[in-house]
Amino acid sequence: MSADTRFLIVDDFSTMRRILRNLLKEIGFGNAEEAEDGAVALSMLKAGKFDFVVSDINMPNMNGFELLKIVRADEALKSIPFLMVTAEAKKDDIVQAAQGGASGYIVKPFTKATLEEKVQKILTKQN
Amino acid sequence: MGHTDPAAQAVAESDETVHHRIGQLTRTLHNALRELGYDRELMDARDHLPDARDRLAYIARVTGEAAEKVLNAVDRARSVQQELTEQAGELRQRWQAVAAFAAGGKACTPAGKQLIDETCDFFAGVGGQTDRTNVILTDIMLAQDFHDLTGQVIRRVVALAQLLEEQLLKLLIETTPPTQRPRVESKQLEGPVVSQAVRDDIVADQQGVDDLLASLGF
Repeated sequence: MSADTRFLIVDDFSTMRRILRNLLKEIGFGNAEEAEDGAVALSMLKAGKFDFVVSDINMPNMNGFELLKIVRADEALKSIPFLMVTAEAKKDDIVQAAQGGASGYIVKPFTKATLEEKVQKILTKQN
Repeated sequence: MGHTDPAAQAVAESDETVHHRIGQLTRTLHNALRELGYDRELMDARDHLPDARDRLAYIARVTGEAAEKVLNAVDRARSVQQELTEQAGELRQRWQAVAAFAAGGKACTPAGKQLIDETCDFFAGVGGQTDRTNVILTDIMLAQDFHDLTGQVIRRVVALAQLLEEQLLKLLIETTPPTQRPRVESKQLEGPVVSQAVRDDIVADQQGVDDLLASLGF
């Protein structure tokens, strides 16, 4: 993984997608695309080659848990790092994400340092 | 006629009695509301809910637009900072050449040399200053996450207003109170924490997330 790592940012709020995209660029990952919900993200994941998913949970059409479940069950996608970045602070949700195969979990509001630490940790673990 | 279980019959009769009583209570409540003029107040409350929803939607839209404007401004400011850094770097190199020339000969007065040195120092410091400004711009950018956080809360309140409206409408049309109170389903996602009340089913911050996951071996 390198600066060419291709990220898919999934969030129904355009403001948050933009913040995440800019933050990823600041920490050295300028290659990112955006999806406004899980359903759009899934079609993008199947169509293109992404190396890393950063996803919200609470979204219309298909939420982050549903997207994670489908990704982990898909032979071609199952090994892709999947970082949850969400306002959902319930312990049950965090446990559900971990048990569902999420690579990391960041609760909003978050800092640049937190995002950088989690992304690097996931990438290090994967290599 | 087949044999009827006495226990089952007793339960059925008991259910019927309860339903009958609920019906009587409902009618009494409805009559009381109407006699006291509260049915009009309920109607008014129901009529005002769409307006409340519109106002909340307006807040969500305007705050979203404000956040986008700030993000656009941050992008422009970053671009300016980038240009400033690059131009300062180029000028610094040229002034360093002038400083080297001035140091080697008598073409420059002491005051001139001092000015050249100070100019070089200034350009050397611009990079650090733009870095600090970029950190501030990142903070400003991150603060716009309020749109996401408040937007999610507004979305839930709008949904709640919709539910209330539907329930009030039922109450008015059917002249009975709704048989089931609107309830928050246990599986409903919780969203941002808006109450400061102490709760043990949510985490307070990122450290709480990390601790919980570590305790589970993740």
